[in-house]
Amino acid sequence: MNKEAPLSVVERDFILDALRENVRLDGRSADQLRSLTVSFGEEYGHVKVQLGKTSLIVRISSEVAKPHDDRPFDGIFNISIELTAMGSPAWENGRQGDLEAYVANVLDRVIRHSNALDTESLCILKGVSCWTIRADVHITDYDGNLIDASCIGIMAGLQHFRRPDAVVKDGQVIVYGLDERVPVPLNITHKPLSVTFHTFDEGKVVILDAARKEEQASEADVIIGLNNAGDVCYLSKFSGSPVDALVFVTKTTVALEKVKEINSIIDKALQADLAKRAKGGLAEQARAENDRLIG
Amino acid sequence: MSSPLILLPGDDVPADYLPSNASAPLRLGTGLRLLSQPNPTPASTPSNHVLTATQAGILSTDNRRNAVSILPSSNRRYIPTPGDLVVAQVHHSSADYFHCMITPQSPHALLGQLSFEGATKKTRPMLRGGDLLYARVLSTGLGAGTEVELTCVNPATGKAEPGGLGPLNGGMVFDISTGMAARLIRASSSSSDQEDGVAGLVVLDELGKKLEKAGGFEIAVGRNGKVWVDCSNSEEDAVKATVAIGRCLTTIDEHNLNPTDQRKLVTKVLRDMKIES
Repeated sequence: MNKEAPLSVVERDFILDALRENVRLDGRSADQLRSLTVSFGEEYGHVKVQLGKTSLIVRISSEVAKPHDDRPFDGIFNISIELTAMGSPAWENGRQGDLEAYVANVLDRVIRHSNALDTESLCILKGVSCWTIRADVHITDYDGNLIDASCIGIMAGLQHFRRPDAVVKDGQVIVYGLDERVPVPLNITHKPLSVTFHTFDEGKVVILDAARKEEQASEADVIIGLNNAGDVCYLSKFSGSPVDALVFVTKTTVALEKVKEINSIIDKALQADLAKRAKGGLAEQARAENDRLIG
Repeated sequence: MSSPLILLPGDDVPADYLPSNASAPLRLGTGLRLLSQPNPTPASTPSNHVLTATQAGILSTDNRRNAVSILPSSNRRYIPTPGDLVVAQVHHSSADYFHCMITPQSPHALLGQLSFEGATKKTRPMLRGGDLLYARVLSTGLGAGTEVELTCVNPATGKAEPGGLGPLNGGMVFDISTGMAARLIRASSSSSDQEDGVAGLVVLDELGKKLEKAGGFEIAVGRNGKVWVDCSNSEEDAVKATVAIGRCLTTIDEHNLNPTDQRKLVTKVLRDMKIES
C-alpha cells in the first residue's frame, strides 16, 4: 500500500475555501516558509534538516574509485534517496513509489546536472582513481515538501563535508587519514536550491512550501531551481492542471528571495559549526602548551 | 492512595488502589484487562479482581462511578477499544457495510448501513468515499485478522447517543496526538469550575468564551487523534475561526502548554487571525 491515504472531502473543500480567503492552515502567508533549522552532527557531512514537521538526515561520504571510462578526468557524484517506513506509514521498505522516483529525479537535475559540485576537482589520477562522493538522504518525518528539504540538506552537506587529502607519489595514490592531514573541503561552484510552489483553484492561488495536506489538495506543482545569483537551473511542471506562464515569471522573483534566505540560514549554521570545531580541532590538539598550571 | 501509580503493560493493579465502592459494579476503562473472575463466594470483595495493565500510564480511579482506567499518554498509533468515539472516513461502501478508515494504512473498520439513528433500508444515509463520520467503536474482535466494527447508534436505545453521532458535514479535521484527544474528551465531558480546567485543558472554555460573539463552534473529538471543528454559524469569519481553533489545539498539543500559556495562546492566535472577541 505504497500510497498516502486520500484526503476527505471536507478537508479538501476547506483547504480550498481557506486559500480563496488567503488563509493557510498553519496561519502562514502564501509565500512564507515553515521554520527551518539546519544542524550538523559530529562528523563532516552529517546534516539534520527540520522544515516544519518534515525532517531528514543527509550523510555525505567519500570513497576512492576508478573513474568512468568515458570520463577519465571526472570524479563521481551520486545522490541516493529512499523513502522507508521510518518516514511515513504510507511508505513501504524496498518498494519504489512514484514520489521517490520524482524526488530523486528533481534532486539529480537541480544539484547534479547543474554542476553544483565540481566533479573535475575530484580526479586524483587520470583514468585510474578518483573520488566518489555519495549523498544519502534519510527521511525521518514527512509533512510535505520533501524536495526542498532534501535539496537544503544535500547542499548544506556538500558545503560541510571534508574529504581526506590524497596525493600522487611515483604513480602511487596515497590517502592520508583525517588525523594525519587537514581534510579538504569540496569544490562547490554555486549553491542551487529548489523552491516548490503548489497551485489551487485553477491556478489562481499559488502557495510556497506546502504541508502534506495542502500538497494532497493541490492541482499542480511548479518547481523552480536557482542559485544566489538568480541563474535558473531547473524549471518544471510535470503533471496536473495547466498553470499560467506569468506564474513562472512572478514566482521566480519570489524563489530568488527564498533561495537567498535559505542560503543565509545554511551559511549561519555552517559558520557556527566551524567555530565550534575550531575550539576542539586539530589546531587545539597540536598546541605546544598544556593545561598544567605552572606556578 | 496518596501518590499516583504508574503501571507498565503486564503489571497487576494493587487491590488497595481500586475504588472501594461496593454499590455499583466495577467499570474498567481503557488500558486495563480483567484476568480472573472474582470468587463467587458471598464473602467476595472487589479486591478479588486481578486487573492487569495493557498500556503504560498513570492509574486513574473514580470513586463515584466506581471506575478505574489508565490515563492514556500520547502515542502516535491509535488502537481501537470498544466504546471509543472516533472520527472515521468512509473509504467505500458495499451491500451491507460502509468500509471506513479510522487510521490511514490500517485495515478498514466496518459500519453497518443501518447503524444510524432511525435508519431503515429507505432512509439510510447515502455516504460516498471521502465522507466523514462521528462513530463509536462497537467491537474490536479477538485475535489477529478480526475486523473493527463501528456504530452510530446506541444498540440498546436506537438513539444516536451521545448526540452528534453520524455523518459530519462541512468544517475541517485537524490531526492531534491520541493523548491530547483523550484529554479533550475528558475536559469536555465533565464540566467543572476549576481554575486550571479538567486534565489541564482550558482551551475549549477559553475559545468558547471568545468566539461566542462570532457564533460559537461545534467540535467532535475522535480518540483516533482527529478533531472535527465547524464554525458555520459565524458566517464571514467561519474559515478564520476554524483555522484559529485548529492552530490552538495543535500548538497546545505540540508544546504541551500549561493553562496560563493556553489562555495567552488563544488571545494571540485570535489577534493573529484578526477575529474580534
